[in-house]
Amino acid sequence: MSIMMPAADQAVLDRRGEIVAALRAIVPGEGVIDSAAEMLAYESDGLTAYRQPPMVVVLPDTTEQVAKVLKYCHGQGIKVVPRGSGTSLSGGALPLADGVLLGLGKFKRIREIDFDNRVVVTEPGVTNLAISQAVAHAGFYYAPDPSSQIACSIGGNVAENSGGVHCLKYGMTTNNVLGCEIVLMNGEILRIGGKAAENAGYDLMGIITGSEGLLGVITEITVRILQKPETARALMVGFAEVEAAGECVARIIGAGIIPGGMEMMDKPAIHAAEAFVHAGYPLDVEALLIIELDGPSIEVDELINRVETIAKGCGSVTLQISNSEAERNLFWAGRKAAFPAVGRISPDYLCMDGTIPRGALPKALARIRELSEKYGLGVANVFHAGDGNLHPLILYDANKPGEIEKAEAFGADILRCCVELGGVLTGEHGVGIEKRDLMPEMFTEIDLNQQQRLKCAFDAQGLLNPGKVFPTLHRCAELGRVHVHAGKLAFPDIPRF
Amino acid sequence: MDTLKVRDAKDVEEVVRAAIAGEQPLEIIGHGTKRAIGHPMATNAVLDVSALNAVTSYEPNELIITVEAGAPLADVQSLIDAKNQQFAFEPMDSAVLLGAAAAGTIGGMIGAGLAGPRRIRAGGARDHLLGAHAVSGFGDSFKTGGRVVKNVTGYDLCKLLTGSWGTLAVMTEVTIKVMPKPESERTLVLHALDEVTANKAMTAALGSPFDVSGAAHLPAAALRSGAEAFGSLAGAGQGVTLVRLEGIAASVAHRAGSLSQALSSYGTVDSLADAASAAVWSALRDVRPFAANGTLGASPVWRIVCPPAVGGTLGQALARETGGEVIYDWGGGLIWAAVPPGADAQAALVRKQVEAIGGHATLLRASDEVRRNVDVFQPQPAGLAALGERVRASFDPKSILNRGRMKRGGAA
Repeated sequence: MSIMMPAADQAVLDRRGEIVAALRAIVPGEGVIDSAAEMLAYESDGLTAYRQPPMVVVLPDTTEQVAKVLKYCHGQGIKVVPRGSGTSLSGGALPLADGVLLGLGKFKRIREIDFDNRVVVTEPGVTNLAISQAVAHAGFYYAPDPSSQIACSIGGNVAENSGGVHCLKYGMTTNNVLGCEIVLMNGEILRIGGKAAENAGYDLMGIITGSEGLLGVITEITVRILQKPETARALMVGFAEVEAAGECVARIIGAGIIPGGMEMMDKPAIHAAEAFVHAGYPLDVEALLIIELDGPSIEVDELINRVETIAKGCGSVTLQISNSEAERNLFWAGRKAAFPAVGRISPDYLCMDGTIPRGALPKALARIRELSEKYGLGVANVFHAGDGNLHPLILYDANKPGEIEKAEAFGADILRCCVELGGVLTGEHGVGIEKRDLMPEMFTEIDLNQQQRLKCAFDAQGLLNPGKVFPTLHRCAELGRVHVHAGKLAFPDIPRF
Repeated sequence: MDTLKVRDAKDVEEVVRAAIAGEQPLEIIGHGTKRAIGHPMATNAVLDVSALNAVTSYEPNELIITVEAGAPLADVQSLIDAKNQQFAFEPMDSAVLLGAAAAGTIGGMIGAGLAGPRRIRAGGARDHLLGAHAVSGFGDSFKTGGRVVKNVTGYDLCKLLTGSWGTLAVMTEVTIKVMPKPESERTLVLHALDEVTANKAMTAALGSPFDVSGAAHLPAAALRSGAEAFGSLAGAGQGVTLVRLEGIAASVAHRAGSLSQALSSYGTVDSLADAASAAVWSALRDVRPFAANGTLGASPVWRIVCPPAVGGTLGQALARETGGEVIYDWGGGLIWAAVPPGADAQAALVRKQVEAIGGHATLLRASDEVRRNVDVFQPQPAGLAALGERVRASFDPKSILNRGRMKRGGAA
């Protein structure tokens, strides 16, 4: 637990009673929680290694209440941490000791389903899956499908730019949202975009998506919905070597085929998953690919044949093709349960989330194995192979002194390796607190300053979700200063015309 | 006016820093093919990035290409075409509409962010820009994004750079996603539908599971204006509604059959295969009926983005009330309107209609004088406009880059 959060402001803590009373005046009744016992439910998100009870929890149920809470906190210089369902895997919703935790759980209504414009207008607390369920009767669905889709909120998806198994073909959250209502830290309510394909002016929806709750609090979202593909079939292909599996992924993409999903598991992950769900996974292979093709059945059948040929050409040692929905679901069952399955074989695990160029998969795996030996900790690997997104699960025991620190150091080394191989620190889980201090591995101080300037345009006092994403916080006035370099139009050697 | 032809990112930094010191705003150009879009600027030096034109790397199996911002769009398209790949968002060639000599550069393509018909299925330029190196109005080189598709590390500044018309930063190098070209395509054609009915037919097609990658409607008038580009389609003298299907041949044939059946209540469904189909969509993408060298070459042209299902009603009203011509793309979600020449391009009327249904309008083509007098970009509510201005200033506080291009009176 090596990440330090900003020091709590004692002056704010001293005024806790007054602050709770002020919030109660805005959000009446049970919407303000200040008892230590009840606040325990909010002390952590999906990154459970980090825990911190907030100063107070507030659960507004209207945009106006959100605006009043933020305006009050803005006026009083009080920090605010927004939270959806609390499933962040990077600590994005970790509370602050001197901060208000603003939960959007009461924003649970789908406001409008508009099939003609192929959009759903929803409140942020609605779960990802609930949107697909609400439109399923007409054959539609919402494409991004993070593994936590039963629980995670669409507001959180926007904050994190969540992905999922199918984003290779259908894009991440940012490619599937059109507009929002957002409340800025000063309480200002703005509407951005709507049912049109693009918003006017700068693409603010694009910058808000994936901003990890640092720019504003979203109170309404317009998402695109798609017609479900006619059918889907999957192949499950085993390889004796990881390199061959990696080559197979590259050749499929190289042949112009974009599968609906393309997942890889390594031997430890295969064994853990098979022991848990008995999906019939081959146990003597080093890598397993699950490749799903979707579309009209005539297309899917043709592509299944092409992928089969490619897989055999890459030396596959086992190959099964689903012939029913039940069989397809069984192929996926092990992959979808991979995290809990690993949870059964190890007291604790850390889930990493780097992305690398697809071609670097074998190199990355070899490096992860070396690191596993170096740190003396086991690791199971599941990948969104189609887009190079790695999820190494580092196995450790929190009850053994020093092991969490070792696991974190191992994880940091994996992410550094991703950056070295031409990739990035996080593909879909977000920076949060988990990867905050690794940001300089990928960005220079100038890069990070430019990002923080943008933060200043939304929240000049830095009160919204501080301590996340940026390793070093600068004052906005300092960041906004333009350094005038001496000398006027000089550059004698730049060609002029 | 000085034109400074930079050779690398260091040169760009040097020029921008000198411009800050001298408080001299810069116009940023590649080939300068889109200079006539936006408000006339009060800049007194030109920063020309056209010499930054190298292809840094192209990895077909990774589905990415990294190029310097000044690389010619046409060259890059030929390069990826040779590997059977494409920019799936179908960037328009604005030269047709503006009367420019060429399609311009990759930097211009991103800065303008003008996606073509396939936007409804594949997304826009903003969905395909994965990473960028750029020089801000602070005179500093920064990078954002990366060279992989799946990335949530830090704010996604790529989204802001796309469609920012060079007002935030000078891009020096970009990484863009490329996608396999479809093996075959077919266009279904419906005839003589009025605009509201055509809108309904497109809505039905887009709400079907048949994976439509283009849905457009050309009313009779626009078809006459673009007769040359649309060949046999123009012959009958009636409007056409077009729906495109792409993919492997067997799948396209299957979907064409099913969709034709689903659309049969709208009349006889004809179809155009591969090359003929491609020609029609390329003419639509570039808005050929309103070409600078055509009969409507002198008409101001609006680009209107709106909720798709109401496009037909809106376009019909616009054509009637302005006395102009309209073309529908994106299933009704994109309307091109050419209005009769006049001092204000009928801005008040267009904007009132467009705003009423939650859309926005950009005056993409008009004379310098009109673009001085009319808001080229959709004016926004005060709070949103103020936020947009703070965002702009967070990149370029002294307004050195393309000063006044996106804001009327902003050049002062």
